[in-house]
Order: sequence, then C-alpha cells, then structure tokens
Amino acid sequence: MNDLVYFLFITVLVSMIINTAIALYGVFTKPSLVKKFIALTIFSDSINSFAILIGFRRTPLGYSSIAVMPSLPQSPEDLKNFINTAVDPLPQALVLTAIVIGLAVNMFLVGLIILFHRHYGTTSVKRVRI
Amino acid sequence: MKLSDIIVGIAMALLAVMLSYLMVYGGLGPIASYNIRPLAAAFLNNTYNPWQKIYSALSPEAVTAIVWDYRGLDTYFETSVLFIAIVGLVALFRGANIVQGISSKGLSIIVKTSTKIIVPLILVAGASLAFHGHLSPGGGFQGGSFMTVATALLAVAFSIEFLQQKRLSLNTLLAVRCVGLLAIAIVSVYLLINAVLLGGYAYIFQNMQRLLFSPNSLVAVGISQYSMPYWFLDRPLGGTLFFFNLSESIAVIGGLTLGAVLLLLRENELKTVIGGEEHE
Repeated sequence: MNDLVYFLFITVLVSMIINTAIALYGVFTKPSLVKKFIALTIFSDSINSFAILIGFRRTPLGYSSIAVMPSLPQSPEDLKNFINTAVDPLPQALVLTAIVIGLAVNMFLVGLIILFHRHYGTTSVKRVRI
Repeated sequence: MKLSDIIVGIAMALLAVMLSYLMVYGGLGPIASYNIRPLAAAFLNNTYNPWQKIYSALSPEAVTAIVWDYRGLDTYFETSVLFIAIVGLVALFRGANIVQGISSKGLSIIVKTSTKIIVPLILVAGASLAFHGHLSPGGGFQGGSFMTVATALLAVAFSIEFLQQKRLSLNTLLAVRCVGLLAIAIVSVYLLINAVLLGGYAYIFQNMQRLLFSPNSLVAVGISQYSMPYWFLDRPLGGTLFFFNLSESIAVIGGLTLGAVLLLLRENELKTVIGGEEHE
C-alpha cells in the first residue's frame, strides 16, 4: 500500500514536470503569439499546482482526516491536534497571490497581442514585415 | 521540423528528465510524508494562539495570516505589481475612450434578464469570500476576482456603454483601484502613526502586540502595546487582516474590471487611435 501510494505520487509529480517542459517547448517554438500565450498560461498553471503539491501531506497515523479547524481551539491540546493534521499553508499563500497577479499580467499580454494583430494584421512573429 | 525546433525539444526533454530525477531522489525533501516542515509547523502554531499573543496573528485562517501579517510587505509589493500591470494595459490603450457604437444595445432580452438575476448573487458570494477571508478560505484577492466576473458579465451582456452610463468610466475604475491601494497603505502604517503620536514604538504592518528589539542587537527590550482590534462581537476579526482583505478586494475589482473593459473596446473605434501613420 505504501509503495503504491509513493509510486502514484511520483507519477503525478513527473507528469507535472513533463507538462511544464511541453509548455515551455510551445512558448519557444510556436510562431503564433496566441499559441505562445496559451502555452505560457499552461506553464504557469502547472507550476502553481506543482507548488501546491509540495505542501501535500498524508493523513498521519491515528487521525481520521486532514484538519480544517472546524471551530476555534479552546486549549493548547486542540491546537496541537490541529498542527498534527494540517497541511503546509506556505505554498498556498505564495500561489494565491501569484494567480491573481498572473491574471493581471495575462490581461496585459492579451492587450499587447490584440494591438499587435490590429497593427500588423497577423499574430505570427515570422510573417511580420516592418 | 527545423534544427532549432529539434534542439529546443531535446533541451526540454533533458529538463524534464533532470527535474524528475531531482524530485524522485529527494531534491525537495521527503515526498508524500506524514510530517510537515518545521517552518509550516511554526506558522500553524502561531496563526491562532491566544496563549502566545506576542507571536500570533489571532486569525484562524493560516493562509491569510501569512499573506497579510507575516509576509505583509511582500504582499503589498505584489499588489503593486498587479497595479503596474494594469497601468501598462492602460498605457497600451491610451487615448481610447468609449463612444456610442452599433452594439451599444447589448445582447438579447433573455441574456439580459438572466444576467440581472445572476449578478447580485455573484456579488454577494464574492463579498462573503472577501470579507470572511480571516475566518475561512478566501480573501481579498479571490473575492475581488470573483466579483470581477459580475462586472465583466455586465459589460458583455449590457455592452460597455451601459457601464459608462452607470458612472463606471475608465477613469473612475482607475480611481477605485488607487483608492484600494491607498487604503492598504494607510492601514499598514496606522499603528505606526498611532504610536508616534501617542509616544511609543511600533512597526509597519504591525497587527497585534509584538516584541520590540533594540536597533543594534537581537535582544528584546520590551513589548509594543499597540494592537488592532482582534475580536468583533462573537468572532475573531484578525486585526488588520479584515481591513486588508476589504481594501484588496476593492483594488482588485477596480483593476481587473478596468482591464476587462479595455479588452472589450471595439476595433473600429480604436483604429483611429492606435493606427498612427501607415507602414509600407
């Protein structure tokens, strides 16, 4: 059971890394700016989910489930139980801001691509004549 | 397939293999373990800890406490990055303004009616996400982007001229964005100004009572007594966290709505603005 869980987890990790590499390949080689942009969003999304996965934790032995703090802790023992079952909050905090800022930066890039198309009549970087 | 494509492909494959090797053999520490890192345990221990108020943010939501208390200055600059991205978008579309066009009637009556029903619900859900950010998962960023969906829906279904008639012009939205950022700045230095006026010491982004350190050594010399309210009626308020979430949601809704409206501007009206002289 333990080996199986470990193997599946490694599979997920490796698939995310492969996803990242394929997205980077798209950014580098596709001539169309729209396709570059789509590849870039896939890249940032896989990096974000990868960062959340780093904070993953398995349910500790002797506890039924991962904690979400249903009510305020009444005593230091409550708090200790919570710490023993909660996942790592730091990657989530980092990803939270990264997503919204990514949204704003993506809006900027889309505006740039729209103006590029209106100005040159194409989104392909290879067909642009200046 | 050109040679450069093949080289890039091989490089990316190597990247994937190397990173996978690193992960599988412990580059990030233990994988799928039963324990968390000591740093995470420290954050979880101090997030809501009424028995150790000097280190605690007194908010049961760990992510919001990290974002706005322990890493508050960091998040302030990330908000500035969001602001600068929106300013860049405004600079790209400079000179553009909304005029009455062909599609100013909006979509059909069915779409308009269902939008009228849906929009208040989205706004209420987004507001509850934003204002309960110190109690449950959520916060200013998520709530603000949630509420932006409602305004973007209005802009699509009722046309952008409708937003203009409702006094939501481009300049107003930019002003809302600036007010949100300014509110964050004011809340972050509120306790500092308070301490300076009343004669005492405090930090920027101070939330609860904190240990005071002498400038030249790492020895605690006392306690800064100034503290934001951490209890409201029958539940925790999280001190500055609530006010930060409030102003951040205002800032995000202003900025992202501005971006959506700018991207929805029609091509014919923009041609004269961005065209400039023809290129041969």
